Amino acid sequence: MPFSSDRRELLKKGLAATATILSGGSLLLNPRESGAEALPDLVVVNGGDPAAITRAAVDALGGMGRFVKPGNKVVIKPNMSFSSGPAAASNTHPAVLGEVARMCIQAGASKVAVLDNVLHTPEECLALSQIPATCAAIPKTTVNVVKSKRLYREVKVPSGRQFKSMEAVAEVLDSDVLIAVPVGKTHSASGVSLSMKGMMGLIYDRTSFHGRYDLHDAIVDMVTVLKPHLVVIDGTRILSTGGPGGPGKIIPLNLVIASADMVAADAQMVALGTWFNRKFEPGQVKHIRLAAERGLGRMDLQKLNVRNIKI
Amino acid sequence: MKLHKVTQTVTLTVFLGLLLLATYPFPDGLTADFFLRLDPLICFGTLIASREFLVYLLPGLLILSAALLIGRFFCGHICPMGTTLDILQSAVVSRKRTSVKNNSYESTQRYRRWKYLGLIAILASASTGVSLVYWGSPLSLVTRFYGLVVYPVLLLTADWALQVTGPLLTRTPFSSLNYLQIPERVFSTGVFVFLLFFGMTILGYAQQRFWCRNLCPAGALMGLFSRSPLVRRRVNEDCTKCGLCVRNCPIAAISEEPAKTAHSECIVCLRCMDVCPESAISFSARPFHKPVEKVNPDLTRRNMILALGSGLVTAGVLRTGIHQPLPRSRERALVNAELIRPPGALPESEFLARCIRCGECMKACPTNTLQPVWFKAGLEGIFTPVMLPRLAACSINCNTCGKVCPTGAIRDLPHIEKKHAKVGTAWINRQNCLVWEQDKKCLVCDEVCPYNAVSFQPVPERVNAAPFVTENKCTGCGWCESKCPVEGTSAIRVNIIGEIRLASGSYVDKAREYGSHFKERELGPERLAPGTFDSSTSSSMDGTTPTEPKSSEEQLPPGFTIK
Repeated sequence: MPFSSDRRELLKKGLAATATILSGGSLLLNPRESGAEALPDLVVVNGGDPAAITRAAVDALGGMGRFVKPGNKVVIKPNMSFSSGPAAASNTHPAVLGEVARMCIQAGASKVAVLDNVLHTPEECLALSQIPATCAAIPKTTVNVVKSKRLYREVKVPSGRQFKSMEAVAEVLDSDVLIAVPVGKTHSASGVSLSMKGMMGLIYDRTSFHGRYDLHDAIVDMVTVLKPHLVVIDGTRILSTGGPGGPGKIIPLNLVIASADMVAADAQMVALGTWFNRKFEPGQVKHIRLAAERGLGRMDLQKLNVRNIKI
Repeated sequence: MKLHKVTQTVTLTVFLGLLLLATYPFPDGLTADFFLRLDPLICFGTLIASREFLVYLLPGLLILSAALLIGRFFCGHICPMGTTLDILQSAVVSRKRTSVKNNSYESTQRYRRWKYLGLIAILASASTGVSLVYWGSPLSLVTRFYGLVVYPVLLLTADWALQVTGPLLTRTPFSSLNYLQIPERVFSTGVFVFLLFFGMTILGYAQQRFWCRNLCPAGALMGLFSRSPLVRRRVNEDCTKCGLCVRNCPIAAISEEPAKTAHSECIVCLRCMDVCPESAISFSARPFHKPVEKVNPDLTRRNMILALGSGLVTAGVLRTGIHQPLPRSRERALVNAELIRPPGALPESEFLARCIRCGECMKACPTNTLQPVWFKAGLEGIFTPVMLPRLAACSINCNTCGKVCPTGAIRDLPHIEKKHAKVGTAWINRQNCLVWEQDKKCLVCDEVCPYNAVSFQPVPERVNAAPFVTENKCTGCGWCESKCPVEGTSAIRVNIIGEIRLASGSYVDKAREYGSHFKERELGPERLAPGTFDSSTSSSMDGTTPTEPKSSEEQLPPGFTIK
């Protein structure tokens, strides 16, 4: 993944600007009809079947082919840090994750690597999360725990405020597409742990994030480089209290959020969920606010082209 | 393949396999220390030094009584030290030309008595309660070598190999190998243990199996029992005295007169039988055969008295070392905060008498906190295990060190008992503490403490709440010290004060008697152990503290801000 390419950055910003103008313009013209034709910024799909709503969400966003080209190497970052089952909501639902992987392969990905630097005993995380079991049936898809230092490589963080370089999973740096598939959950230090906070599972030195740096600012530094091309947030059920590891209050929301904008996706999850028994606005999560301020995405949900689907 | 090669390969493999399995989680019912218990010197030396009859050391007695029947079979077939020296000999030392003259028993007798003298010295010292077993026990030495030198180097090599081959592996069906997490192990004294083996290999240039012939006190002990074993080397009338057997004997146990054997030296490897062109040699049991065929080592009475004396003197000098418990006392004379014994270690005097410094506990320790101590405990405490909390903490749910200890120097405790075997108490060094000294926000010691023994309380003249240790909740596990973010010396350190050392009886009862309340923090069904989760389960240094000015922000859950 070419991370520090100015050209791409320019193109992306250009595209974002164009999309803003177009969507803004389309609102002026005929909000109902033209909004349906342009690709939405963000999709929320409600429904009972985790795999089906995941597929519908990505399809509504333009299909996986928009993100994964034939021959691409894809890395998917799930939550599988904890030795607990899908019901505990501290890990991504295996059906959601499996469906994303399957769509990648169907879009022609040459390989899909599901990677996470887990916190609990790796064997227990893998077994209890049921993610490897689900992915076993998907061709060219592997699920692995990245803990050894040798699997990491130093990468520059040119626009970093807290740090100018970090060690990230080499396989991610060498991949073409990065997809974040987090579960919606609370976090005792960062408020919520969604697509951006979840990227801490792809770096080596997390201790400094909690000790040396300002955690929220450091998360934003990290995602300037580890910026997912697609975010699919598992909101089939959320860990509303007691995150990140639980146990805590689990709320079934029966939804999946998909967006190419990590900030928008996280913001939408915050807005839809209940956290520590309260409702919050996206801007109240410091790293979401900072990421929006630093131009990494948008959290102004009212101005986004959001498509809601029920199946 | 020759019999001795088969048996040696099998026994070394089993030995190494058991050593490898000595880790956490510990396989139920495994006798990881099986080979150590076979060593007759460990058995005898420890029984005498500890003055207790330890049933689990009985295999050593069996090996010893087996010597009456089959001689030093153990040395030629079972002992991992012997096998290792054989491997090093053939790998490193070029094969020396031998002749009947330089490889006969008579011509190589010069140093052989040393092992007997060493044995006498060790047993003499043991009789006063000082164990010198670890200087001579081949199983202790070889376990230490493989566990503390070879194992960490192998892990490092494996990690390096995966780094090199990893990118290729991802294209094969074995791609998950690429992600294998190889533990890292570091040990103090590794260089010394290595040099010891280096020296033994070098001695191989002088004489093959120099250690086994001349130095091994366990071999000497078995030698005493195998002066005329039932099954022994016998030479019949077909012998042409060609001397091939004499030249090929790895231990030079055959006399210039090839029919004569020093049975106390013979390791029953059967090489002589294999090389004999006349098939004149057999190893068989013929009890009433004429006994002219043996030669015995020359030990003068003067030598033996000298060895006895030096053993006693050494024991006396070591027994009065500053780190030793005072004579007739179980307590340590000098309280050295850095000598934190593993949980379940016997009272210091019994501990030192029993510990054979094999390093099995350190190899098995999953966090690497158990380290061999170098001279910090004096020469008398060299290689004994201590916890090094600055390096790593003691894992709460692990009791492996006691399970693998061959002599019971560390008691084999059930989990609940182990959790009450307090090894010391954490003390805050206020001058080093970020809060006490610099008034910074830091809660790490509280967050990682598995027993809730650290609490943060408001203190005058500081904005931030400062850490305090509740002594009777602290087991000395060292999580706080290992994670303290202060560089260099930790601001919270485990001190041996308050350690509970029991030769018998329940640690739970004793801890209760002392007014301790070791209660694990509620971890929930996730079994989230401290340290497994980033560096902290919660806010760490960016956390809010009770003394912060009350703001509306404080009413919010962690990580959220006001609109």
